[in-house]
Amino acid sequence: MAEDQMVTFSLASEEFGIDIMKVQEIIRIPPITRVPKARDFIEGVINLRGNVIPVVNLRVRFGMPLEKETDLSRIVVLQINGKVFGIRVDGVTEVLRLNSESIEPPPPIALGMDANFIRGVGKIGERLLILLKPDQLMDGDVINEQTA
Amino acid sequence: MSQDDNGNKGIDLDDFLEFYLLDSQEQVEKLGSGLLQLERDSDNISLVNDLFRSAHSLKGASGTMGFTPIVELTHAAEDLLDKLRQGKMMVTNEIIDVLLAVTDRLKLMLAQVEKRIVLSLEYSDLASQMKTLAETGALAERRFSPPKKQEAKKEADAAQIDFSLTSAECQVVSDALLVGKTVYQIDVILASEALMKAVRAVMVIQRLEALGTVVKVLPSIEEIEAENEQRFSLLFVTTERPEEIRADVLEVSEILNAKITHYSLSESPAYQGKVKEESLDNPKEVENTQLQQRAENQVHTIRVDTARMDNLINLVGEMVITRTRLVKIGNDLKDQNQGDALVNSLNDANGYLGRLMSNLQESVMRLRMVPMGTVFSRYPRLVRDFCRKSGKKIELVIKGEETELDKTVIEMIGDPLTHIIRNCVDHGIETPEQRLEAGKKETGTITLDAFHEGNHIAIIVSDDGAGLDIEKIYKIALEKGLIGEREELSQREIANLIFLPGFSTADKVTDISGRGVGMDVVKKALNSLGGLIDIKTKKGEGISFIIRLPLTLAIIQALLVAAGEEIYALPLSSVVETLLVDNSEIKTVGGLAMIQLRGNTLPLISLRQKFDLPNSDRKADEVYVVVVGLGDKNIGLIVDELHGQQEIVIKSLGDCLNGLPGIAGATILGDGKVTLILDIGSLIQDILINR
Repeated sequence: MAEDQMVTFSLASEEFGIDIMKVQEIIRIPPITRVPKARDFIEGVINLRGNVIPVVNLRVRFGMPLEKETDLSRIVVLQINGKVFGIRVDGVTEVLRLNSESIEPPPPIALGMDANFIRGVGKIGERLLILLKPDQLMDGDVINEQTA
Repeated sequence: MSQDDNGNKGIDLDDFLEFYLLDSQEQVEKLGSGLLQLERDSDNISLVNDLFRSAHSLKGASGTMGFTPIVELTHAAEDLLDKLRQGKMMVTNEIIDVLLAVTDRLKLMLAQVEKRIVLSLEYSDLASQMKTLAETGALAERRFSPPKKQEAKKEADAAQIDFSLTSAECQVVSDALLVGKTVYQIDVILASEALMKAVRAVMVIQRLEALGTVVKVLPSIEEIEAENEQRFSLLFVTTERPEEIRADVLEVSEILNAKITHYSLSESPAYQGKVKEESLDNPKEVENTQLQQRAENQVHTIRVDTARMDNLINLVGEMVITRTRLVKIGNDLKDQNQGDALVNSLNDANGYLGRLMSNLQESVMRLRMVPMGTVFSRYPRLVRDFCRKSGKKIELVIKGEETELDKTVIEMIGDPLTHIIRNCVDHGIETPEQRLEAGKKETGTITLDAFHEGNHIAIIVSDDGAGLDIEKIYKIALEKGLIGEREELSQREIANLIFLPGFSTADKVTDISGRGVGMDVVKKALNSLGGLIDIKTKKGEGISFIIRLPLTLAIIQALLVAAGEEIYALPLSSVVETLLVDNSEIKTVGGLAMIQLRGNTLPLISLRQKFDLPNSDRKADEVYVVVVGLGDKNIGLIVDELHGQQEIVIKSLGDCLNGLPGIAGATILGDGKVTLILDIGSLIQDILINR
């Protein structure tokens, strides 16, 4: 029976999970430099030990209202297809194992979010976990923008 | 060690694979450029020899690695080249074509090897083509060495030596022939134990001088002395009979043998006006001189993996950043503890470290410099292939190949340049008939040049073709609404309209003007390198594309400026001056802010507006203007504050954020914050085109 390890984090009132294999590290929010003319969900760029990496504000990406930064706010640094970028979340909750049997496909009307970003919904007892498919968080739309 | 090409690569061979690929790719490149040279200079036997050697070593290396298809293909090419080398065939266009096709196929095969996939490419078509050529061609005229000479060679076992006569010596010989004297080649062999061989040679010469004239001695007396040569040959003009000469020579002691043969001047290359050229009669000697040349040309280099080099450069970059932090700390301490000796010595050490760092940086940067020739070398082939296809006659003149440029720029400049050159050959240069009609030379010329220009490199691509039709471009731009009717544009500004994105998409436009295919892509690519492109053209006389690129992309001097809370870095190489301008001097013309600067109008952009920042709430009477320029185009940037200059390490923003307008990259400042670097090229181009 296959088991997935997930990093879970909170965003607004939802709880999300992301495959641990895609997570490089989790850091506190450093100074973020705004990048003019970039897509609105790109909050800016940060210095990650000498490398400049972009940060996606997930609240903007998912069309949620903005909140003030708190002590719990974190940047989850992802590495996907060799590209490194961060996603800003409200707080990282835990690392847990999820039975692949308890993962269901995303509902047709995917919680008001783009279904491209959602792999499915995981159930742990009464908790519902939205499983993130992070591959297209950065690139999909950017390509459209450049050709437009 | 051998290996199948069906994918089961041994671990051992994997180590060699890198070397094999590097070497083979180099050999294929050599073959390609050599073939193009051979096409122009079909008599050049040493070139054929070089090509043969390249093919041969490629075959050998591929054999060791077990890449059978490559071996068989190169083997067939080698056979063909061997026929050429031996003079059994003439160099024809068909041969060059097929051999060039072979190099292309080899490149593809090597690419498959590199990707570690099975060699699946068909090669029997080319192999059989070459075979047919080799068979039919063998019957053709023997060009490199007439049969007569070869028979003569067989008769006399000592071949006629090329004495490399100078024209004066030739004159002596032909004068002697006119008065009925005979020219002999005398080959003298000294006893191996003979001491002072040079002295023997001088004695022989003295005796001969009594009987006639010694025109030349090979090797020279000095060489005989130095090398302790046992044999030497003389060119001798006399009226005496050979037997008498021989008897006379043999009287000198310790001479084993003297062989006297008729020397025919007509077979000497010198006689045909080719003074001191490599002779075909003496391949061994040719080989020797080539080896010598090669030894002299050898540059002492080592191959280094680019990843290692980039790592070194990154480390130096980090050090630069850390040093700026140290400087900042030193300055802060100085403010806090005035006159503390320890702080002063810290700052002294910082200053010294700074000088060392800039030396180190410069040396490291030089590692990344690659000559332009590596890019230019691909274009002769491009132009040639096009000429063969279209029937146009084009000569490609390449200059400035030795101009060095950063590796990253070199890698990225190739495609835009190809695009421009393709445009030149395709649309710029007219057909031979059109050219003759227009009173031009039948052969068009495309010139490729690269040279340093201040802190930049200029690359110029020019042709003497039809040039741009300015009126048509203007009309089309009007129709498409790219420019307003009342706008007055100079010829050059109109020419630059072809870089607008809208210009490339409409087929109608390219049909009429014949230009502008994807030129916006070229501009974009160059802008992303911090470069700029400009056009100069005259209808009927041709066109010049002028590209300006920064020398290096890794570490630069920058001026830091502030707009609101944000800090941006400007490459210092593009900063002309900074001004403090009174608000009343700024005039708005056609929606564009301008000032008068020493009689010229300078268009202004506000960094705040450009980057969507709210206007400053405090009303200042004066604003800072940074005048930036590339080439002869200047604009002014309105900024809030100047933060001084500093060395910065350019970092990429990554694929996701590349190509944003006005931003060239990012850097990390001493305080660890990321700062964006402005792309002066694109800012200038934006304001000059999108007016």
